This record gives sequence, C-alpha cells and structure tokens, in this order.
Amino acid sequence: MAPPPVVTGISPKEGPPGTRITIRGEFLGSSLQDLIGLTICGCDCILLAEWKSPNKIIARSGACKGRGDIIVTTRSGGQGTSTVQFRGYHETIGPLKESAVWVEEAPIQSYVWGRRALSPTNQQDDLLGISVEENEGKKFPEDELFELFGDASSDLTSEKFHPGMFLLQNHHATSFDDLKAGLSHLQRKVNSQKEGQLSFLKANVGTVMEQLDTLTLLKEQYESDIAKYGKKPLEKLEGSIKKSMGDANQLFNEVLARRERADATRNALAVMQRYKFLFCMPVNIEKNMKNGNYDLIINDYARVKNLFKNTDVDVFKKVLREVDYRIETLRDVLKKKLEEVPFTLEDQKKIIRHLINLETDGDPAWDAIASHANYLKKSIEACTNEYLGTENKEDGSKEVYIKTDTSTPLSVRQFKLTKTEENNAPSKVLCIEALCDIVMEQLPDLWRLGQCYFTGQLHVTVDTEKQEPFKNLVLSNIRLAVNSMKATCDASLTSPWLLHNLKCIRHLYAALIHLDLPSDALDIFGKFIFDLRSQCLVGILKQTEDNVMLLARKETWEIEYLDKNEGVTKLTAEECLLISLSNIHYTLKVILPQLTENLKAQEYPDLTTAIGFNTDWTQLESLDKAVLEAYLERRSDPLIGTIEPSMYVGDLDWDSDLPARCIKPYTQEIVANVITVHAEVCRISPRLLKRVLSHIVENIAEEVSRVFSCVKSFSHEGVVQGRTDILFLRKALESFSSHRAKCFFDEALNSIPKITRKDDIEKIDILLTKVYSRMRLQLSCLKDSVDSRVDVENLNMTRLTIV
Amino acid sequence: MSKKPGMAQALHKVIMVGSGGVGKSALTLQFMYDEFVVDYEPTKADSYRKKVVLDGEEVQIDILDTAGQEDYAAIRDNYFRSGEGFLCVFSITEDDSFQATQEFREQILRVKNDENIPFLLVGNKSDLQDKRQVSLAEAQSRAQQWGVPYVETSAKTRENVDKVFFDLMRAIAARKAQGNQSEIGERKKKTNCCTVL
Repeated sequence: MAPPPVVTGISPKEGPPGTRITIRGEFLGSSLQDLIGLTICGCDCILLAEWKSPNKIIARSGACKGRGDIIVTTRSGGQGTSTVQFRGYHETIGPLKESAVWVEEAPIQSYVWGRRALSPTNQQDDLLGISVEENEGKKFPEDELFELFGDASSDLTSEKFHPGMFLLQNHHATSFDDLKAGLSHLQRKVNSQKEGQLSFLKANVGTVMEQLDTLTLLKEQYESDIAKYGKKPLEKLEGSIKKSMGDANQLFNEVLARRERADATRNALAVMQRYKFLFCMPVNIEKNMKNGNYDLIINDYARVKNLFKNTDVDVFKKVLREVDYRIETLRDVLKKKLEEVPFTLEDQKKIIRHLINLETDGDPAWDAIASHANYLKKSIEACTNEYLGTENKEDGSKEVYIKTDTSTPLSVRQFKLTKTEENNAPSKVLCIEALCDIVMEQLPDLWRLGQCYFTGQLHVTVDTEKQEPFKNLVLSNIRLAVNSMKATCDASLTSPWLLHNLKCIRHLYAALIHLDLPSDALDIFGKFIFDLRSQCLVGILKQTEDNVMLLARKETWEIEYLDKNEGVTKLTAEECLLISLSNIHYTLKVILPQLTENLKAQEYPDLTTAIGFNTDWTQLESLDKAVLEAYLERRSDPLIGTIEPSMYVGDLDWDSDLPARCIKPYTQEIVANVITVHAEVCRISPRLLKRVLSHIVENIAEEVSRVFSCVKSFSHEGVVQGRTDILFLRKALESFSSHRAKCFFDEALNSIPKITRKDDIEKIDILLTKVYSRMRLQLSCLKDSVDSRVDVENLNMTRLTIV
Repeated sequence: MSKKPGMAQALHKVIMVGSGGVGKSALTLQFMYDEFVVDYEPTKADSYRKKVVLDGEEVQIDILDTAGQEDYAAIRDNYFRSGEGFLCVFSITEDDSFQATQEFREQILRVKNDENIPFLLVGNKSDLQDKRQVSLAEAQSRAQQWGVPYVETSAKTRENVDKVFFDLMRAIAARKAQGNQSEIGERKKKTNCCTVL
C-alpha cells in the first residue's frame, strides 16, 4: 500500500468557483484510475480533476466559500492530507472593479454561483488596501456622523458620497501612516486602471470581440430590416395583430355558441334525471327492500331529501309523501327484523346502522339489546318447556325418546352425546345441552352488542344511564338460564348424566369467561357449577354405596382361579363361609392398603381425617371373627360330637384285657375328619389352614381329654391302648396344635394311669411305629401342607371369588 | 522529532516577489518538487508548504508565490503583510526586472515597516550567461546598499536553489529568536519603568 497523498502546493491559492487549480504534492495517485477522490474546501471536485502525474493534479474549484483543505484520495494510499489551503470566494463587482462582461449590480441573490452583491463597506480593503479587521469593535458613533455630515453618505455608490464620512466610519481607528499607505495604494490602483486599460482589453479580448461582433450583427440586421419593411415596421405589425384578432374571434364564436348550447342541454338532462330519480324512488325502494339493499335505499333517501326537501311543487310533495310512507314501512320491517333474533352480531349492527341512518325515532340500538335479551329469555323458557314438558307427558319415565330431526340444530347438539346412543339420553340432559347452546350462542352476542352500544360503535348517542338496566338484563337472563338448569339437574338424574351436564356447563363457563362479563354474572355460574359438582360427588358416592349393597345379591360363590381354570362344584354353606373369610382377608391385606395408596397418590386428604374412620378396620375384623366362628361351629361341632360315640361304638372298654394291637378306629376317624377339613380349607385358601385347623385341633384335644377323664378305670391293656391312641393323635395333629391343644393332650395322657412295666413302653413304641408306617399317607397329608405353605401362600394371593 | 511533543513545528513564511516572468514560480517548483517548468503561465498567488530539515531541526516552510504582473499589484500589500522573509527575484537577462526590485523593496519595507526584515536579492537564470544584461557587480552593489545578501541562481540547473531558501529560513529563524529576546527585554523595560514610577 502506497503512503497517503499529501498536498503541498496549490496554484492559485484562492479564487472564485470554477478556478482552474494546479494541485501539487506527493503520492497523488499512481495513475488516472488510482485517483478516486478530490475535495477542495469540502466540495467534491473529482469530476473536473485531471490527473497529470503522482505530483500534480489539475482541477477546478467547486462552489465553495472560505478556506479549506485539499483532500486527495487514492485507491492505493487512502485519504490524504494537505499542508496548504485553498480559499474560495465569490467575486463581487463594485465601482472599482472592472469586468469584461455585464454584471447586474443590483443586489440580486440568484446568481449561478450564489454570487452576492455586497455592500461597498465590505470592499473597503479593496479601496485602501487596509484591513478592516483592525477597526472592528471601534465604530464611530452614528449620531456624531450624522451631525457632522448631515444627509451625506459613506456609500461609494451613492451620489452624496462624502469621503470624510467614509473614512470616519470605516477607518477612524487607522493610523495616519496606514492611511497614507492606503492613499498611495488607491492612487496606484486608479493609475493602474488608467494605464492598464490596454492590458485589460488584452485579457478580455475574446469577450470584447464577441461583443463587437454582436453589435455589428445587430446593426446589419437592423439596416436590412429597414430596407425590407420600410421606416415604420410597427404600424404594419399592429395592423396584422388586429386582423388576426378579428379572425380568431370569428373562428371561436361559433365554437363558443355550440358549447353554450351543449351546456344548456346537459343541465336540462340533469334536471330530468333528478325528477326521474324522485318519481322512481318508491318503486326503487320496494325493489331494493326485496333484495335487501338497504344501504342503497338509505343513500337514495338521503339524496332525495337533500334535493326536494324544501320543494313547493305539489307533485313533488305528493311523491315525497309516498317515499316517506315507504321509508316508514322499511323502518317497521327493519325493527321487526331486529326483534326476531337470532342474527349474527354483524347483521344486527348493520340493521341498527340502517335504522339510525333512516332517522328512526327512539333508540334502535337499545331496542335491539332489549329485544335480544327478551329473545334469549324466551328461548330459554321455550327450551325448558320443550324438554321438560315432554317429560311430564311421559309421566316420569326416565328415558324419553326424542325423534332426531336432522334439519333442526338439535341433531348437532346430540352429536356431543357419546356415552350412549343419542336417542337414549334423558330429556333433562338434552335440555341442559340445549340451554347451554342457547346461552353460548346468544349471550356473547348480547354482551358484545351491549359493549358496542356503550363504546359508541353503534353510531348512537350513548346513554350511560342504561348501563345499569343492561347489566340487569344480562344478569336476569343468566339467572333465568341457571335456574332452569338447576331445576333440570335435580336428584332424579344419575351421576353419569350429571357429569355430562357439568361438562357442558363448564364448557359454557369457559366460553363466557372470555367475554369480560361482570363478576357477579360469572359468580352466578360459578356458584351453580360448584353446586352441581357437589351434587355430582354426592351422586357418585351414593351410587357406589348402592353398588356395594347390591354386591351381596350378585355373589356367585364361584372361585376364580386366575392361574388355572378348573371346574367348580356347587358350594356348601361351609365353603361359602370359607370363601368369605378368604375375601375378608384379601380385602384387609390387599385392597384396603391399595386404596390408601391410591388416595395418597392422587393427593387426596389422608383417610384418617375422614369422619368415623377407624384405623384398624374393626368392623371388618369382627365380621371376620363372626364368619370364622360360624364356620368352626358348622365344622368342628359335628366332628367333636362324633368322637365319643365312635369311641364306644365297638363296645370299647378301657378296662378289658384285650391286648392292644392297633390304634382304635375313633382315632382314625378323627384324623380322617381333620384331613377332610384340611382339604376343604386348603382348596379355598391354604392361608387359612393354620387358623382354622388350630381351632379344630384344639377342640378335638379338649374333647379327647374330656372323654378320657370320664373313663373310670383302665386295665393294663387299656392303658397301653389309650396312650398309643393319644400319642398317635398328638403326633398326627402336631403341626396344627396350639399350646392349648398340647396341654389338652397332656391332660388326656395324665388321666390315664402311668405305665408300670417296661415292656409296655416298648409295646407302645412298636405299635406306634406300626401305625405310623401304615397310616403314612394320612400323616403326610397333614404334614405336607405345613411344608408347602410358602408356595401355597403365594398362590393364595391370586385367588378370589367372583362378585 | 527533536522538539518537545505537542509543541508546534516552527513555520517560516517565505514570499516570492519580483517582476513577471523572472522565474519565481520556477524557483519555487524546483525547490519544492525538483522540477523545471518550461511553459510560462502567469501566476496569481500560489501557496506551497512542506517540511524541511534546517540545521538538524525539522521545520515547515510556507512559500507564497505571488504574481509579478502589474495587474495584481493591488493585492500585493495584503500578501506582504503575512510574510516573514522575502526572496526578491529578478532575471539577469532583463534589466527592467532588476530595476523593478527597487519598487518591491520599498513596498515591502512600507508594509512591514521593518528595515531588517529577512530579505534576499536573487538573480535568476544564471545559466543564460550569454544573455546577461545585469552585471554581477551592479546587483551586488545594490544588495550591499540595502544590507542584504545577493545570490545568483538557476531554476533550470538548480544552482543555488536550495541555498537561497535555506539562507532565508536561517535569517527568519534568527530574527524570530532575536524578536523573542527583545520582547522579553521590552517587558523587562516596562517593569523597570513601573518601578521607577
């Protein structure tokens, strides 16, 4: 990159706009293309710049004034600087300044270069060659000047110019020497002007020659003209002008006359048109009314009124009356139209505007609001009557079949019903839906109409006092709607339908919230929704309760095996009891905790805060106990009862001397009975085994102990036999024996006399071993269940009865 | 720069005077741009300024090249007022131009009102010895009479071109230094006066 350009020389250093300037310096661009910018005193002069060499540019100054830098910009070196300055000035012609061309001396501002004629005082340094700046701020007082010189002037161009006044005014602070120098300067200047006339001519020879040429040409032309047209060409000219004027008038008179005629015809036509318009008016009104072009009618009416309002012609008056009559009918039609809602808001606005334009009496906008409100009220009532009326006719039957008519909007509404077939919905629900729809359609329009009215959008004078009545109108309508809905949503509706209604009404509420309704209006709805909600809740709870009550009847007592499907026999009462037990157990262990969990998960309040809640489910547990007792009663009582009779059925005599060979049959029967119970319980709920069997075993042990304590005497063999029996029983029932059962067994043993001989003990052992091996299966039955308990328990969790 | 930063560079204002066509512009352009202009084009008033090193110090020289033609005599006074030193040029091949120097000298002295203004009498076109009309002695005697140096130059061959400008600048610089001192002296005098009073 080359260094930035520097301008170090300028020739000349000052001049008027258009001066040819030689700019010298360094790095002024390597070529013509390299030079891209040149400003002199801020004026862009690149257009007239001529690049000569990197040290020289020839340019012409622009319309600049004052001192300023010469800035050269090159592509290679960027924007440059300048050490010299150019001063632009606007040349002024004064009495002492010669000019080769004509210059207007009057102070006219509009010269090509914005040249300005300055007052002579500004030229004084030209006059004496002395700077004025020294005198600035030292003005000679004007009054004294006036006293000294009277009406003389210091203006050089003035006829009353007085040199003394000039000097005092402009140089009264200048030193004598300077004034002397100034005088010699002036003298030299005047001399030079005298002497320099030749050089002045030389300098401006081109202009002078041109002027001479022009003068010669002028003279020649004038002479030739005189030769051609004689001495007085003007007279001829005047004659010609006059003649041509006469001709022109003739030519144009005809045209002008024609134009006048045309104007007259046009005026007549316009009048005719107007009359035709008036006479056709009634027919037009009729026609436009049919087509609904109310705008057109209003326009025409306004026009007619404008044109013929003040007419005195009878025919016109008659027609006007006719027109007025038509307009009156139109007003009536419009009013009626406004009353028979529904219309869209826009339509209503339009009609109101029409009415206002027709200068209808009263307040059509307010009428529209009132009639709208009225219509809303009516439609709510009609809707209620329609649905509830039919219901009354059907005399309380809950489900009313409404014929779906596709042409009514009802079908659209029923489209919302998805829970059941549309025909099945109770009329009350339909009524609510219809009401919701009516309110949703009409209320927003009514409200917006009201808003428009009060914000002045309806082009009527707003009567602010009507705010209150309007609010009341809206509120009463809302109340009416809510009351009808309330009346409909009575207790006779089932909760699903209530829910459905709630949904509809909430939807409506959401739509209304966007309307900016006053809060008391919304409150009515809010309260209603709240009530409806509680009603729904109550309904649901009640229904649940009913369902629970119904459960008892629905119990089929069939066990559902969720893992394997097996055939189920008819159940006995005992089995039912067992199943109930199992169910209670399941409820306690699984369902209730699950319920609590769910409640917690849904963030409902804790169950413990509920009224009348006991944490331990005592009622359920007491039921559990009662069921268990009932079962035990049914099962163990017969079992116990058979012990004694079957013990003595074979004429058992504990005092006989028959040697004991085996355990007695009653023992076997007991074991068999227990196995039966075991099987029964195990099939339904192995979990209950321990609980049920331990009770039974306890009873058995008690009975056995009682029976043995009643035996009066034992023979030797009887002792062996009894002991063997009891030991066997104890062994067989060991896994279900509670502490109490064991005590009873011990008691039974104690009631038998002690063994005296040693071989008796051995004999008992031998007998027991024999019996054990023989009754292996029975014993394993009772034992097995204990071992496999864990598995069964898991199984148990999936077993429940079908309800 | 040898000067303290922030302090303005010394600026010496030189004015070229002399009759038309004696070579004022040629001298100036030769000094400024080492270029000799053959074509003659009368000057109105040109301005040049550049940095030069004068006795080891960087200074700026401002050259005002004035018009020699009588037409512009009227505007000379204004120019002269701003000059600090003058190169009064005549052509040794034209006696009229030598005679005119007298007039210029007077005008300068009148405007500057100072006998000791830095001033050099310059006889240009020394390369045209065969056309000489003004003898060396003649010129030297006039210079002596005025108490100024006389130098003969040639804008064409660049003979003594730098010398005349540098000599004049030195004279100006010396004059400025002297002026400062005398100013200080004057001020001292004044204070003295006050004490006397």
